[in-house]
Amino acid sequence: MSKRPGKFPAWIRRAWPSGEAFREVGALLSDLNLHTVCQSAHCPNHGECWSRRTATFMILGAVCTRNCRFCAVNHGVPCPPDSGEPAHIAEAVSRLGLRHLVITSVTRDDLPDGGASHFAACVQAVKVRCPETTIEVLTPDFEGDARVIGTVLAAGPEVFSHNIETVARLHPMLRDRRYSYARSLEVLRKAAAISGGRSIIKSAFMAGCGEAESEVRDTLGDLLAAGVTAVCIGQYLQPTPAQAPVAAYVAPAVFKAWEQMAYEMGFSFAVAGPFVRSSYRSEAVLAPAAACAQRREGEE
Amino acid sequence: MRFEVPLPALGDEDDAVQRGTVSQWLAQPGDRLSENDDLMELTTDKAAFIVASPRAGKLLEWCVAEGDTVAAGETLCIMNVADAG
Repeated sequence: MSKRPGKFPAWIRRAWPSGEAFREVGALLSDLNLHTVCQSAHCPNHGECWSRRTATFMILGAVCTRNCRFCAVNHGVPCPPDSGEPAHIAEAVSRLGLRHLVITSVTRDDLPDGGASHFAACVQAVKVRCPETTIEVLTPDFEGDARVIGTVLAAGPEVFSHNIETVARLHPMLRDRRYSYARSLEVLRKAAAISGGRSIIKSAFMAGCGEAESEVRDTLGDLLAAGVTAVCIGQYLQPTPAQAPVAAYVAPAVFKAWEQMAYEMGFSFAVAGPFVRSSYRSEAVLAPAAACAQRREGEE
Repeated sequence: MRFEVPLPALGDEDDAVQRGTVSQWLAQPGDRLSENDDLMELTTDKAAFIVASPRAGKLLEWCVAEGDTVAAGETLCIMNVADAG
């Protein structure tokens, strides 16, 4: 038997999705015509999350108006928002019995409010149907429009997330031109100000894109200064050969050191690891005690 | 009872990720496996994945070789399993 050297380091390994719970979640989502970022981003946590009967819903369609070099979501001209989507999300949350969910979206530069009112409608529909369920929204930049950011926050999500995605120097190389590092910080700063502490403000970025350790520290400092209190750092993985290649696979011990550094810098919640994603086990942000246990569990 | 072990489908909209390359068999013909024992390692563009044995039984033969690209639903190997279940 030949033993070829693997394309991936030993820690970039997951279980292939299978099992009854996984199939049930897939059938339900397909039945309700819902999209998930689990599928669209070819997420390696897909099997684990669906087997735990959680999913990250991607609203406003599966076609993005922007084209970032790390992202596998299709880009082009999207369809009008589906007015039935808020009810479908609420139905899925109810049928899956979710205690926490993440709602994210493609970027919709074609809509006057960037899709903010649709975000709000989805949050409200879940709150009416499943009042015990906590909600995180992971939004595009809404072009930094405070009024529009306020529309989403007024719906009362427990967590407002906007991802900075990468360090300042790599932004122009990896993100669509319409995104900028400064704009993303501005979105977070405005969200923190508008929320006034009612929502946790969270952000995430990728490692392994060519950033230096000092740039990771600088990014954490910038997020903290913008009012972000929860942060996630995970390994960038190239979804298909069409996206930017991976510059480096960051070792699990380095991620742990960054996580520690984030806490020392003043974040209330930090998680970093090869398979950490902004939405992976995101319920932990609302339960710091549970987060400690899950971080230990994550040290595989 | 002979049981053909398929590569489980992901239920994705995108067929491209429903396939991977066999990087390594982790169980040999003749091995007795429990449910969820490691069967093979598969790589996609994004990561390496471990495919687990869906049933307990004896691995009879491999149906795909290391280096082969396999799609969801394709038979990976044949096992001899107990009739029940």
